[in-house]
Amino acid sequence: MKKKEKIKVKICVGTSCFVQGGADLLLYNDFLDPALIDRCEIEGCSCFDACKQIEDATGKEIKPPFVEINGTIHGSVDAQELASLIRKAVNNA
Amino acid sequence: MLEINNQYNLVKRRVQIEVIKEFIQGNLIDDVDKIPYKLIPKESDPSRCCIYKERAMIRYRIMALLGVNIEKDDDEMKPLAAYVKEALAHDAPVQPVLTTITTGCSSCPRDQFIVSDLCRGCFARPCMANCPVDAIDFRQGKAHIDQDRCIRCGKCIEVCPFHSVIHIPVPCEGACPVDAIKKNERGFVEIDYTRCISCGKCAISCPFGAIVERSGLFPVLKLLRSKKNIVALIHPSIDGQFPGTLGQIKTALLHVGFDEVREVSEGAGETAEHMAGEVVQRLHQGSPFTTTNNCSAYMELIERHNPQLEKSRSLVATPMSVLAQKIKSENSQSQTVFIGPCLAKRIEAEKLGTVDGVLTFSELAAMFIAKKIDVREMEETDLGDVTSYEDCREFALSGGQLHCVEKRIASGESIKTMTINGLDKKTVKSLDNWERKAPVSQLIEVMSCEGGCINGPGCVVKPSLALKLRNGKATTPVQSAKKSTKL
Repeated sequence: MKKKEKIKVKICVGTSCFVQGGADLLLYNDFLDPALIDRCEIEGCSCFDACKQIEDATGKEIKPPFVEINGTIHGSVDAQELASLIRKAVNNA
Repeated sequence: MLEINNQYNLVKRRVQIEVIKEFIQGNLIDDVDKIPYKLIPKESDPSRCCIYKERAMIRYRIMALLGVNIEKDDDEMKPLAAYVKEALAHDAPVQPVLTTITTGCSSCPRDQFIVSDLCRGCFARPCMANCPVDAIDFRQGKAHIDQDRCIRCGKCIEVCPFHSVIHIPVPCEGACPVDAIKKNERGFVEIDYTRCISCGKCAISCPFGAIVERSGLFPVLKLLRSKKNIVALIHPSIDGQFPGTLGQIKTALLHVGFDEVREVSEGAGETAEHMAGEVVQRLHQGSPFTTTNNCSAYMELIERHNPQLEKSRSLVATPMSVLAQKIKSENSQSQTVFIGPCLAKRIEAEKLGTVDGVLTFSELAAMFIAKKIDVREMEETDLGDVTSYEDCREFALSGGQLHCVEKRIASGESIKTMTINGLDKKTVKSLDNWERKAPVSQLIEVMSCEGGCINGPGCVVKPSLALKLRNGKATTPVQSAKKSTKL
């Protein structure tokens, strides 16, 4: 079977995201299904500068904390949201 | 206590950021009255009854940030700009540290134990058999609690095999260790300031954000604008509150406008040294036990509720006081700003007179964002020689101070130690008993916040994460972060 490519997840750890709820996402080992974690390459990363633009691709206003999944930036991500975004990405892979 | 990551805290942070931004740009007086509309625009989806109430609450949060005693000085006709002018003209008195927003209070009904539908009306009926006041009877095959008789002991919850009894609390009253929270005749929250020890537990427990601290932000902002030599005294719990190392945090603080950054642990080294001597000396003099004295909320507790403990508390200078004194003696022109997780520290600072401002981590976080300072992107600043006090960074954790003092006690002396890890109704009661029956330990560390200062009301991240970050274990992946992507 062809080895599936890993989902690339980047959690912003810029100060702005970190202090507005992003810090909690770093505890992903506590709330993500290990099977999902296995399918992902999760890393922290510096500011996306997403805080400087206030709209996402669909024109909706976005707020910190930001997470990038396979190149798409999502705003206002909490633990639950992160889990569902990753699950979606895994299912679509 | 509420989980630290919640909508209220996020909104509070946004308010702080907006206010500081406007202040930095010099437009605060002109634009402050627009902030509620900016944060809650017309089309937003309200989490309270309507956007108008949300805006009103934003207005109160700004007032709290300006240091206004909302309970006393709320004038709905007065524009925020007028409050800003007052805050800029003179510093508001520190006490009371906490104030209430009646508009936000949900006037929760009195706390009660009730039997839910899950009751199966079992034959054994342990709830009825174990209720010490006979408050439970059975009606139509189900248990029922007589609210007038119930003493809220919780026995029925423990014994019900079906978990059918539930406790509906009043969060602020439940969190207050000294019963300082009362409801007025209309059912809204009121604080009895003669009893309040300014621990801040009510403020971080209310799910409606109806209890707030009167911030010390503006005196600090004014200091930073002055041309004086401003020294930041950073509490050891700062490590773990921001992404990045202590060295980076120090650089970030210099960017915020502080002229010098010093660790309070520096003073803690001296405190621990003196306390070690004091404990042994008292032991030889036959006094039964000594308690620590650097938790300001505990000091307030002694003053207001347990004066009999005054003779048992340590008399050595607290770390903040030692360091502030040192800085003033090095340069009498220096102005000192304590940055920590604590609200009660403002009272201590006022009493000392050597600490000129007190800031919380939460307010500092907003300053970083308003000034677009990213701690992770900062260069490391050298922390200097920390060998004599490095271990004292542990003062931020429950039990940490004990370790440091024990280590400095002369060999040959053996003392027993004990920690009071967090003040709640129960532990406060146990302090009352010490007079009759002295504890077996000779040195007792008392911390108002469970887990220590890293769980203080002014913190930004939850203690479990802060602990991981403090140990340098940057939760697996983050080390690869620097400059990894740019949009």
